[in-house]
Amino acid sequence: MRVERDKLLPYILVAPSIAYMAFFIGYPLLEGVRLAFVDEKGRFTLANIEYMLYSVHSKFWDALKFTTLLAGVVIPIEVAIAIALAMLLTYKFKGRDLAVYVVVLPLVISDVAAGLIWYSMLTGGGFLNKLLLNLGVISEPVIFFGREYLWREFVAVVLAEVWRSTAIVFVILFAGLQMISGELIEAAEVFGASPMQKLRHIILPLLKPSLQAALIIRTLFAFQVFGSVWILAGRDIPVLAGEAYYEQVELHHTGVAALYALVIACISLFLGFIYIKSFRAKYLEVGV
Amino acid sequence: MASKTLVGIAALVVVIILIAGVFLYMGRGATVVWASTQLNPAQEQAFVKEELLPPFTQETGIEVQFVAISYSDLATRLEAEMQAGKVTIDLIGDLHGGLDLFASKGWLEDLSKFGALEGRTFLPSLEKFSNIHGIKAYIPWMTATYVMVVNKKAFDYLPEGLTKDDVIKGTDKWTYDALLAWAKKLYEETGSPKLGFPAGPKGLFVRFLHGYLYPAFTGAQVKNFNSPEAVQMWEYLRELWKYVHPSSTTWDAMADPLLREEVWIAWDHTARIKDAIVQKPDQFVVVPVPKGPKGRAFILVVAGLAIPKNAPNADAAWKLIDYLTRPEVQVKVLEKVGFFPTVKEATGAIPSGPLKIMSEGVATQLGAPDALVAMIPSLGPKGGDFKQIYLTAFEQIVLNNQDPAAVLPDLAQQLMNLFKEVGAPLPPPDA
Repeated sequence: MRVERDKLLPYILVAPSIAYMAFFIGYPLLEGVRLAFVDEKGRFTLANIEYMLYSVHSKFWDALKFTTLLAGVVIPIEVAIAIALAMLLTYKFKGRDLAVYVVVLPLVISDVAAGLIWYSMLTGGGFLNKLLLNLGVISEPVIFFGREYLWREFVAVVLAEVWRSTAIVFVILFAGLQMISGELIEAAEVFGASPMQKLRHIILPLLKPSLQAALIIRTLFAFQVFGSVWILAGRDIPVLAGEAYYEQVELHHTGVAALYALVIACISLFLGFIYIKSFRAKYLEVGV
Repeated sequence: MASKTLVGIAALVVVIILIAGVFLYMGRGATVVWASTQLNPAQEQAFVKEELLPPFTQETGIEVQFVAISYSDLATRLEAEMQAGKVTIDLIGDLHGGLDLFASKGWLEDLSKFGALEGRTFLPSLEKFSNIHGIKAYIPWMTATYVMVVNKKAFDYLPEGLTKDDVIKGTDKWTYDALLAWAKKLYEETGSPKLGFPAGPKGLFVRFLHGYLYPAFTGAQVKNFNSPEAVQMWEYLRELWKYVHPSSTTWDAMADPLLREEVWIAWDHTARIKDAIVQKPDQFVVVPVPKGPKGRAFILVVAGLAIPKNAPNADAAWKLIDYLTRPEVQVKVLEKVGFFPTVKEATGAIPSGPLKIMSEGVATQLGAPDALVAMIPSLGPKGGDFKQIYLTAFEQIVLNNQDPAAVLPDLAQQLMNLFKEVGAPLPPPDA
């Protein structure tokens, strides 16, 4: 009897979370599949997939391209900046706490607000143009936005995204860095390791679990990117979540919108799987 | 004994409440149920319930229940009530397209039987459209349109042969070719494009395509979608787009770009340029749109008031129509929610200021002798697909520089199928 209770206990303990997930994630997911593949009369349909992939009105391929491109450009930049900042801020100096707060500040700003801030900075009469005009660098305002200047728009989006969400990568890496024992680094110094060697052989390997967490979170966010792109570039730069919104709100194509959501979910699951597989840190196994 | 007294008291209380309830119910007078697809945002509903209707109830003793409803819900509910023979809606407030459809199904009362509304003259173009399917289907209630706004600085760069007066009054010289020449001159002499459109994902630029350019060049919104005139129109737009501010593809409303002076000439819905005029009334003029080869085409948004057949309180509903079309009430609606009056007397009663500037531009456009009025078709949820067809054509022809002759045939087919599928009539000026 006692043994059976012990066997059951874990299941009882996870039951509430399972119920929660089933209701708030499982059910909407199934409903999404139903919306995407079942028409109004209750029949199975591929019309939504055909529309999404082949219709002249659909921007699926562009959206997939730009979402991936944006993730591919933004995430490495953010990780590099976040590691540099985190290492810088592990040194104790006066005003360090304040500096940490300032770096983390953009975290509290929503993506739409971040988009608006950068829009007003870069727009024709905005801060950057006024500065350059007054310095005499340019004679006419630089136009950053518009389909004609797609790549400038892309740069604006990258700036806004990096500014806004480097903070979340930083917070995770900063915490991870605090946990690395100073003794290991001291030991490396005793053996005469150069700063690059310390980074390569001590810090980065020990930072792996934090890096994994940061990358998973940041990549999942990258595939949901919407607000800042929508504000800065409209549909000049289509992204998956933006297309889902447009199909639903402007075109009333609920099935297609659900399909976009499913595509985002599948990509996220796949990437999460890859990260977890490839980051299985060796030292963890040794340490246990 | 005590329990018997308690039961007695309880019974007495129940009886008193019942009697009071019945008494209050009988004494409250008629309640008009007003189902409206307009004025639905929370702020506008608050205006209707707290400011617009109380004076009416005070004056007539008629209570009004304002029901904010979407077009598709209204259509479904009305159909069900008509089939069941039990109508509960007394008054409908909806756009022309919806009322047109309801009238075609014979669901609306012929309002001519109520006589005339005294002391008000409805704008002739609006009056004309409200007489449909052999009846006076609705009373024009509110109107809106899309106009051009000009920063006064732009008048220093007018092209040869075009005067400020031509533009403001909308003379024969104020044409799309003149607009092109003006935009070109502005671009060349100021160094940057000064003409702008709300072509962002939530902007209303699509209305300019189907309700302004298409009718002005081809005489119709839908019918001539793929025609030699349409090809000419797209070629014109491609030329014009060279002098249009490139950021247009990210703008949803023109008030901000106008205020930031990124553009000096803009086209947009009256509600979406209002902020600019209110903030700098001395800087801007509202002018009618240019004319094309087939006329001065523009979209007229008309909301009308109609009474369904067998409405339980038709006479009370008529009194509400009478109240809502009074000049002073119409001016109040303009001030609070930005819809323009439908009666001439109200236009004269607008106090001077930003609203006057706007209503003058709107009145000039509506009253233009070469006016070619376009209406937004009533396609329900398929309205999105309708818009997307024009937007895809724009993207492929103007932004991606594809040949119109290659792009238009397929899209024209889709457009026709859309109307067939929904069973909706082609909108004016096509029909």
